[in-house]
Amino acid sequence: MSIDIQAGWEPKIIVFACNWCSYAAADLAGLNHLEYAADIRIIRTPCSGRMDPMLVLRAFNRGVDGVLLSG
Amino acid sequence: MKKRVGVFVCECGTNIAATVDTERVAEYAKTLPGVVYATNYKYMCSDPGQELIRNAIQEQNLEQVVVASCSPRMHENTFRKATATGGLNAYMMEMVNIREQNSWVTHDREQATRKAQSLVRMAVAKALRNRPLQAATVPITKKAMVIGGGIAGMQAALDIAEGGQQVVIVEREASIGGKMTQLDKTFPTMDCAA
Amino acid sequence: MVAAAQHPNIELMTYSEVTQVSGYIGNFKVTVKQKPKYVDWDACTGCGTCMEKCPTKKLADEFDFGMGKRTAIHKLFPQAVPGKPYIDAENCLKLTKDKCGICEKVCPTDSINFKDMAVFKEIEIGAIVMATGYDQFDWKSAYGEYGYGKYPDVISGLEFERLISAGGPTGGKIIRPSDGSEPKNIAFIKCVGSRDDTKGKSYCSRACCMYTAKHAYQVKTKIEDSEAYVFYMDVRTAGKNYEEFYQRALNAGAKYIRGRVSKIYPQGNKLILKSEDTLLGRQLEVEADMVVLATAMVPSTGAAELAKKIGFSVDKDGWFQEAHPKLQPVETFAAGVYLAGTCQGPKDIPDTVAQASGAAVKVLGLFSKTELATEPMTSEVDISKCSGCGLCVPICPYNALSLVEIKERGGHGHGPFTRQVAEVNSSLCQGCGACLPACRTLALNLKGFSNDQLVAEVDALCL
Repeated sequence: MSIDIQAGWEPKIIVFACNWCSYAAADLAGLNHLEYAADIRIIRTPCSGRMDPMLVLRAFNRGVDGVLLSG
Repeated sequence: MKKRVGVFVCECGTNIAATVDTERVAEYAKTLPGVVYATNYKYMCSDPGQELIRNAIQEQNLEQVVVASCSPRMHENTFRKATATGGLNAYMMEMVNIREQNSWVTHDREQATRKAQSLVRMAVAKALRNRPLQAATVPITKKAMVIGGGIAGMQAALDIAEGGQQVVIVEREASIGGKMTQLDKTFPTMDCAA
Repeated sequence: MVAAAQHPNIELMTYSEVTQVSGYIGNFKVTVKQKPKYVDWDACTGCGTCMEKCPTKKLADEFDFGMGKRTAIHKLFPQAVPGKPYIDAENCLKLTKDKCGICEKVCPTDSINFKDMAVFKEIEIGAIVMATGYDQFDWKSAYGEYGYGKYPDVISGLEFERLISAGGPTGGKIIRPSDGSEPKNIAFIKCVGSRDDTKGKSYCSRACCMYTAKHAYQVKTKIEDSEAYVFYMDVRTAGKNYEEFYQRALNAGAKYIRGRVSKIYPQGNKLILKSEDTLLGRQLEVEADMVVLATAMVPSTGAAELAKKIGFSVDKDGWFQEAHPKLQPVETFAAGVYLAGTCQGPKDIPDTVAQASGAAVKVLGLFSKTELATEPMTSEVDISKCSGCGLCVPICPYNALSLVEIKERGGHGHGPFTRQVAEVNSSLCQGCGACLPACRTLALNLKGFSNDQLVAEVDALCL
C-alpha cells in the first residue's frame, strides 16, 4: 500500500515528552545538532504518567496527524 | 481571561538568530490573543536582557511572561527569578524552547521560524492559564551518603566531613581505597598512591 | 584512606551494597545490605593470628590478579582500611564442608562467627554522592590478535601496577608471570578497547597515555639494559605537567612507535609483535619478553542497575549521565544526587579529585540551608468535585494521596453528614501527575501542568 503525499502538505505531529527523560533527550539531540523534521511540536509533561487519554483524543479531534508519547 | 502577556524572544547570539527570524517571531507574537508586548533581544539571560523583562513587567503592566529562548531545563530558574524581581509571582512565566528543540535541530530558516511561531502560540495559550504558586518547604536530613570508597568517594567524603557534616561511605569491597590501592606511583609527581 | 577512616564525621560501611533507595532531595531513605564477613569487626583487633593459621593458603589473590596467594580468611590487602579480616565463604573449609574452624579456636577475642548473616540497614540521608568508579575493559574476550589472554606474559596495565608496586606480590620486582624471569624488552600497547569502535569503545579513556608513559619510564629506570616500546595511535598529554612527563619518558629512552599492533604470537619464550610504523610507512616486528596493554575504562559492574534504583540515567556507554555536559557536570537528573570521579566518564586522578570536591561542595551547599523550598507544581484536589472513589490513591508512586473524611453542612432536607475525599500530601507529591488520568470527575489537577493548560497547548498547536 502506498500513501500519496501531496506536495507542500505539512503534517502536525505532537510529542508529549516526559520532562525527566524524553524532553531532556530532545535537548540532548539539540545539543548535538541532530537534525529532524520541523513538523514536530514537543509538549513538556512532568511525567508520562501525567498523560491523559483525553489529551490524545483532543489532539486527534483537532486534526493532529500523529501523537507520540514518550517517557 | 484578559491577561496581559509579554513575549520575549531571545536570539542567543546567533544560536537562535541564525536559523530563526526572531524579529518576525516577536511581530507574530503581538497578534496573539492576550499579548500586549513582544520584543526580541540578543541575550535574554544577560543582565540587560533580564532588565528588559523587569522593565516591561512594570511599564506594560504585564501579568504573564513568555520567554522564547533555550530549554527550560537550562534557564527556567533564571527567568523565574527575573519575573519575581519584576514584581510578579515567579510561576507566571512560561518558557518556549526554540533553541535545543528548534534552531539547533532545524536547517531551514523559514521552517524554523514558523515552528518558533507556533511554539510561542502554544506557550501563550498555556501562560494565559497560569496561576500564582507558592513553594512549600521541607526539612533536610543533614547526612550524606557516598557510594563507592575509591579516590572520588574518599575525597568527597573528606570534604563533606571537613565541612562539618555527617557522611556514610558505602563500599562493596572489604576495604576502602578502590583502584588506587592497586596502583604504584602515580604521574606526574611520582608519589605513592596510598 | 586512614584520614577518611579516622574522621569523626565519617562512618564506614565496607563490604556493603545499596539495595534500595526511596525519597527525594533532602530526604532519601537508603537500604544498605551489609554482607556477612563472619568476623565481628567490633571485637576483632586485627591481630592477624587467624590468617596465619588458616590452612587454605593457596587461593589466587584477586587483588593481585592471581599473581599472589591468599588465605580463606584474609584482608583485601595488607594495608586494608578497616584493617580487619573477613572470610571468603566460597573457599572456607568450615563454611563449605563444616571442617576446620581453626580461626575460631585461635582468635583471642572470639570474633569469628560462622553463623553471620547479611544485615539490612535503613539509613536516612539528605544527599547522595555517586563514586562507583570504573572497571577494566575485558580485553581477553575481544582481542584475539593479542591472544585472548592465552599468553601469560601479555598483561594489563593494572596487573603491571601490581608487579611494580612495593606492596605487590613481587615486592616491586618486575618479573614475567610465565617463568618469573626479569623481562628486558617490554612492549606497551595503548588504546586496547579505547577508541576502537569495532572491538571496544568509541571513547578515549584519558588516563592511559600518561600511565603508559609512567610505565615505560619505570621500566627504563628500574631494569638495566631494558627497552620499552610504546605502540600508540596518538599521545594525548592534556594536563598540567603531563607533556613534560611524557618528555621525561622519552628522555629516559622509551621508544614510541606510531602504529597499531596487528598480532602477537609466541616464538620460543619470546613474544613477537607485528605492527606498522605509520610515520616511516613500513611494517615492523618487535621481539618482547612481556607485553602490557593499556586497557580501556568501562563503567563499574552493576552501576547501571544502581542508577536505575536511584532514578537517574546512564549514557550510551553506561557512564552516569551528568545533568549538563558543561554547566552541570556533577549533578544528575535526580535532584540531590551528585557525581564524583570515573563513574561519570573516564578521567585521571587530578580530575577525579577535582570533581569529587565539586560534588562535596554541592552537598555542603544543600546542607547549608535549614529547609528546602519544594517545587510547588503538585497535585491538588477540588473537593467539591471529588467523589471519594479512591482510584487515585494506589496509583500514586509516592504515597502522597490518601482518603480523608470531611464534614458537610447538609441542606435541602439533609442534616450534616460526613463523606470521603482525596487529600494530597504536598511534601510527598512530586508533581508527576500520574493521578490525573485516574480521576473520573476531574477533581484532581496538577498545578503548572493543569488540564486546561495542556488542552490549551494542544488547541493552540492545531490552529
